[in-house]
Amino acid sequence: MAEEAIRIENVTKRFGDFTAVDHVDLSIAQGEFFSLLGPSGCGKTTTLRMLAGFEVPTEGRILLEGDPVEDVPPHQRNVNMVFQSYALFEHLDVQGNVAFGLKRKKVPKDQIATRVAEALELVDLSSRAAARPNELSGGQRQRVALARALVNRPRVLLLDEPLGALDLKLRRQMQIELKAIQREVGITFVYVTHDQEEALSMSDRIAVMSDGRVAQCGPPEEIYEHPREEFVAGFIGVSNLLEGRVEPGGKVRIGEDCLPVPGLDGAGDGDTIQIAVRPEKVAVDEIGGDAYAIEPDMFTVEGEIESKVYLGVGNQLTLKLAGGSRLVALEQATYRMRADEQWEIGQKVKVGWHPEHCMLLG
Amino acid sequence: MSEPFYKPRFLRVFTGLVYLYLFIPIFIVIVFSFNSEKSLQVMQGFSFRWYSDFFNDPTLMDSLLTSVQIAVLTMVISTIVGTALAIGLVRAHSGTAKGFNILMLVPLITPEIVAGISALLIFSQLGITLSIWTIVIAHITFSISYVTIVVRGRLATIGTEVEDAAQDLGASKWESVRLVLVPSLWPAIVAAGLLVFALSFDDFVLSFFTTGEDAQPLPVRIWSMIRFGVSPTINAVGTLMMVVSISAVALAVLVPRLFGRRESGVKVLTGAEE
Repeated sequence: MAEEAIRIENVTKRFGDFTAVDHVDLSIAQGEFFSLLGPSGCGKTTTLRMLAGFEVPTEGRILLEGDPVEDVPPHQRNVNMVFQSYALFEHLDVQGNVAFGLKRKKVPKDQIATRVAEALELVDLSSRAAARPNELSGGQRQRVALARALVNRPRVLLLDEPLGALDLKLRRQMQIELKAIQREVGITFVYVTHDQEEALSMSDRIAVMSDGRVAQCGPPEEIYEHPREEFVAGFIGVSNLLEGRVEPGGKVRIGEDCLPVPGLDGAGDGDTIQIAVRPEKVAVDEIGGDAYAIEPDMFTVEGEIESKVYLGVGNQLTLKLAGGSRLVALEQATYRMRADEQWEIGQKVKVGWHPEHCMLLG
Repeated sequence: MSEPFYKPRFLRVFTGLVYLYLFIPIFIVIVFSFNSEKSLQVMQGFSFRWYSDFFNDPTLMDSLLTSVQIAVLTMVISTIVGTALAIGLVRAHSGTAKGFNILMLVPLITPEIVAGISALLIFSQLGITLSIWTIVIAHITFSISYVTIVVRGRLATIGTEVEDAAQDLGASKWESVRLVLVPSLWPAIVAAGLLVFALSFDDFVLSFFTTGEDAQPLPVRIWSMIRFGVSPTINAVGTLMMVVSISAVALAVLVPRLFGRRESGVKVLTGAEE
């Protein structure tokens, strides 16, 4: 791993009786795009605010580039933050907002002018330098907040749900831009969000948080394909959770069906375990018809279509398996899908998935 | 009845009458302040003679000056103290602060005559000679509450992230208040100050109880004059006072616009959320 930018060591934060952050350990590398992902109240913003210095950990240590900073006040830390509300200074124009940090650091005037111009160039706002924040659109305000933080060349940029207030289309566009800016400036980004899609598409690594602790930390593919617990599997994407009993030979019995699940080594025979299958990994075919979706090496069971939702890009089918459990299948409208495919409610179907797409939850 | 919502005509007439009732006394004072004769019943011609009488009366001029001095001092002191109080109450986040938030309203609902008598009692108990300063102190007691209410409303809409942002960008706690918070509050502070100026300028009850050997403030002076018969000069003084008060309040409403903001001054004064 590259050099360490941030180390969070066994950090706990309590507000009275409430434990917001519970023994968190994290290490974030230099230049990494690191996301803290979780539902509201999971401790992600508190963790970020401790990095900025607005909250002091109750226990544990925080190191910025090797130096402990728990007791350093926010204005003396070499990190900057982009706030959820942007927190622009309404009494200053765009330039004044961006120059604020440099003026506090007593940077010479001519340098301030150059750097402010560069920062505004970076976020594509050079033409609005003299505008007041209240004359800007939401997306523009967001860019000012970003420029105001980046102009200080912090070691770490902290972003607290920076795109939360934007509409969907603008958010998608800003996600791409943010990622491009991060690559360009090479600064470590710590990004707080509750939007799993945002975290998956932008991050190098994600820490999924729940109830103040880190449930799982790893690259997006790992978090998505190999969630280690039910919470992660359910929070990142949609999952079908099935409960079963371990049988000899690496199989799990779910109702009447017995299916092979890889990675069962740790579990003893007769143990009850949970497995999950992503809806997009579930293939559905007519019984007796040609195999369109199901591939030869898939594990298959029989089921019945319970409901159908048309999504445009495909169908979302709720299936009732022979054993009684329910599964959601997301059938993508790809080139392989039959054009005249019309599912009927109650229709008997063949359901299948690759054994390796079965995720074992701890 | 073609309209979906029929508005009875008598409601319009009634509304008109209410407004007449509200404005006729004021209108009469203004009209008769320009009367060329001494009569308070018949308008005999247009002249500025009562205005020139007023401006040539040294006692009245002294009173005007006193009133302006009191209003300015009250405005400055209560604005500073009231703003500090508002910031403290909003940012403290403690149970005590909640109690003090309500307690702060007490000076506004205390009957002025009670406030006036208690001020007089305290000053005489402490052996303080009544002067322009005792009036200022009495005026400040109720003015602080007005400033705090107006500034507090504005503070609530600003939120705490702006101060956090300032500190994040290298400002110390004090700098974040001085460089970001106070400038953001400026429209509310100025509006509150002008409102307090208007309230202090025409206050009678408190001024009456706390006025001393210095020149009497204008409202108290007018009251003394009336005891010796009503002169049309009073109409002129009244009209001028009204102009001053209305100007101050109008400025208070307009100030936020002068700061280049979209929100209306009424919202700033009442602390209404957008």
